[in-house]
Amino acid sequence: MLSYIVRRTLYMIPILIGITLLTFLIFNVLGGDVAGRLAGRHATPEQVASIKHELGLDKSIPEQYINYLHQIATFDYGRSWSTKQEVSTMLSEGVTPTLSMTIPPFLASIVFCIGLALFAVYLRGTIFDKGIVVTCLGLMSISSLVYILALQYFFAYHLGAFPISGWDPSFSGRWQYLVLPWIILFVLTLGPNILVYRSVITDEAFQDYVRTARAKGVASSRVYMKHILKNAMIPIITIIVIDMPFLITGSVLIENFFGIPGLGGMVVKALNESDFPTIKALTVVTSIAYMFFNLLSDVLYSVVDPRIKLG
Amino acid sequence: MFNASFKKLTTSLLALAAFALITQGCTKKVSDTDTTLNIVVRANIKGLDPVRANDLYSSMAIANIFESLLQYNYLKRPFTLEPSLAESMPVASADGLTHTFKIKKGVKFQDNAAFKDGKGRELTAQDFIYSWKRLADPKTASEGFWIFDGKIKGMAEWIEAMKAGKATYDTPIEGLTAPDANTLVIKLTGPYYQLYDVLAMPFSAVVPKEAVDKYGQEFLNNPVGTGPFMLKSAGDWVRNSKMTLVKNPTWRGQAFPTEGEATDKANGFLEDAGKPLPFAEKVVFTELVEDTPRWQNAVKGNFDYVEIPNDVFDKAIDPADRTKLSKELTDKGMKLSITTSPDVTYTGFNMKDPILGKSKELRQAMSLAQDGATLIAKFYNGRGIVAQGPIPPGFPSYDANFKNPYSTHDIAKAKALLAKAGYPEGKGLPEFTLDTLADSKARQQAEFFVQNQAAIGIKVRISANTWPQFQEKIKTGKVQLFGIAWNADYPDPQNFFQLFYSKNMSPGPNDSSFSNAEFDKLYEQSLKMAPGDARNAVYQKMRDVVVEEAPWIFGAHRLGYRAIHGWVHNMKWNDIQNDFPKYIRIDAKQRAELSKKL
Repeated sequence: MLSYIVRRTLYMIPILIGITLLTFLIFNVLGGDVAGRLAGRHATPEQVASIKHELGLDKSIPEQYINYLHQIATFDYGRSWSTKQEVSTMLSEGVTPTLSMTIPPFLASIVFCIGLALFAVYLRGTIFDKGIVVTCLGLMSISSLVYILALQYFFAYHLGAFPISGWDPSFSGRWQYLVLPWIILFVLTLGPNILVYRSVITDEAFQDYVRTARAKGVASSRVYMKHILKNAMIPIITIIVIDMPFLITGSVLIENFFGIPGLGGMVVKALNESDFPTIKALTVVTSIAYMFFNLLSDVLYSVVDPRIKLG
Repeated sequence: MFNASFKKLTTSLLALAAFALITQGCTKKVSDTDTTLNIVVRANIKGLDPVRANDLYSSMAIANIFESLLQYNYLKRPFTLEPSLAESMPVASADGLTHTFKIKKGVKFQDNAAFKDGKGRELTAQDFIYSWKRLADPKTASEGFWIFDGKIKGMAEWIEAMKAGKATYDTPIEGLTAPDANTLVIKLTGPYYQLYDVLAMPFSAVVPKEAVDKYGQEFLNNPVGTGPFMLKSAGDWVRNSKMTLVKNPTWRGQAFPTEGEATDKANGFLEDAGKPLPFAEKVVFTELVEDTPRWQNAVKGNFDYVEIPNDVFDKAIDPADRTKLSKELTDKGMKLSITTSPDVTYTGFNMKDPILGKSKELRQAMSLAQDGATLIAKFYNGRGIVAQGPIPPGFPSYDANFKNPYSTHDIAKAKALLAKAGYPEGKGLPEFTLDTLADSKARQQAEFFVQNQAAIGIKVRISANTWPQFQEKIKTGKVQLFGIAWNADYPDPQNFFQLFYSKNMSPGPNDSSFSNAEFDKLYEQSLKMAPGDARNAVYQKMRDVVVEEAPWIFGAHRLGYRAIHGWVHNMKWNDIQNDFPKYIRIDAKQRAELSKKL
């Protein structure tokens, strides 16, 4: 397995180069005259040229690209063109609020949704199962903005149960600001997750090995936990891993509505302001995360199902 | 088993909510001694270095930490300059080219580790020369350098020498000298009557060399100024979230103005006349992008004032009298402040366009087709005045009685002019492109423009852009029509008229690439004139040329509606002064009392 992991890690290098090249071309070559935009509405052509020189945009395209690769290798992305803050500091400051916001509901949702999906399959065809399906479809048909506006208005503004918005960087102080975003993120995942897990588990529940197990007199709870759930874990892991980069990119809407200074808002601002150093850094970080989580899912397959051999 | 886990989870969540309800809902107590001013801003504060004071909210924070030579009187209108770090108003030579400033004695920089023993040293005239060289330094690449560009004798040469590596900060600039520690002499290359205005802008604020040397590029997170408030430690700013400034114990001091406009006394703005500033112990800036939580927080008293967002406007305003807040808000002790923004929205024509740029009648017809009053009603909740020209109310030369003959909505007259231009009912014209921003409000406004023009037979298609794309298209002249606004940098009409001067053509600030010999002559004449009636008369002639030539379709001068809590005193809002927090007094006892109603 180790050699597989090493090999897959090495494969990441050309993929990453491809991503960097694409990002570089989109913003440096097709992105237009950034210096002119940064110089502001009062700028003269001389000032634009001066800014271009200071940003290194007057260098040749290959030189600029090599410089970009050097930045990736050294994890030094320089300073944001928009805020003039150090990009690495911006990332490290943004990642904590985002992960604090996304990880707890993500984990809670996995456990809760798998549990409920198993239960729904166990009672499939009953009013309970149908009720879950209808509720999930109902939950999914409501826009995330409605959840945010309604829950923020009712629980925070009307009842005063939570702060309306805000953030405290201290570990002990931040939680009061996170409870409502957690609940919203949790509720947002319920509909799609339960339905997908239910479908995956239902497929497994009708397999021959399940009938055999039942015929052998295995207890129903054991059939579900040991046989059905274990075999359903492969597609479930795939779904979970696909969702994982979201942990880093966060949710722009929730961050903006709750005043959480995370990476989601940073991505949107960087794109809106053509802040190339920040975009470069975020692209690389997100790409590495995607590749890492893909590798993780492959490794987890072999853990869950020993029939899968990596190599 | 599943039932049990489900129950457990549900119980845990409910317990969490109940816990939050108990801890949050029942423990909210407002201190009756806390004089903190809580300000909410709708975009992020980017940094605290005066050379980067190029956006509204960064400027607002910077103006409380740093100071410039001059400032505007808080109460007087029209805006009147007065000394800030200058001892008195400067003395100008007869030709207006030399300006001598006496610097206040005893002004100290804020205590900081950058200084010996951590104690801020005394400000000198040399500090201004250093700060302005830093602004001009090509390595700084400041957006604010335009305030001195081409204006100060020897500065251009110094910049060239810096680029060539032949000069340092020790190399003198002919136009910036300090004969003694408290005297600063500025020599200009030509008349520059806006000099005093730009010397009140945060770009020109003074910074200590020691701090810039110590922190380097991180100076923007470790600001050291002379202002009334300071960032005590870098940790007091949680970027993209909240910044807390505290009173600077070594501030030079200033008294609340004793005179202002005629109505100020009746409006209670002179209650604190002569009292020492600042009133607030702390100023907290909270950054919140979305309108809804900003409004909800403000109504709950978490912010001391708030601009009323579009979505809640009808609920917040008394339907019977739109100059008053609703009963619900009035009962909470809130007040309404209505102010004219120093701005103008407009749809610009690219005057280099072979059709739009060639026909004055066509542009005039398109201007007449615009229904300005409906536009303001639909998109600004009626919060605006139909602009008759580029100059907003409250600025010198503004004439409330002046009516632009092409700013009325007159379809018949528009059609007649269109026929005169050779395009009856729009026949013979191609479909024009209106560039705009991609947000929903801008797009809806663009749709409205398309409808207005369709009424006289002119077809327009919309091209939506991100702000950088939009700006670039304008700068490179790749537009036909574009919807945009200009906010004044300082209260002098020249700041608007520069947008029509041919030598400022794109990529300069003249986005329409308007070129008119008569206008240029008048503009150049106005630059040589001191503020006063004679210059105002020239400004009005310039306005007439612009109105007749119609390089813009004028939109609105927007009105700012702010809901202010009853415990906030001296809030005479304006969009020019960023250093207003020092004048605001929070009545802590009143806040504690009124908070019970929220």
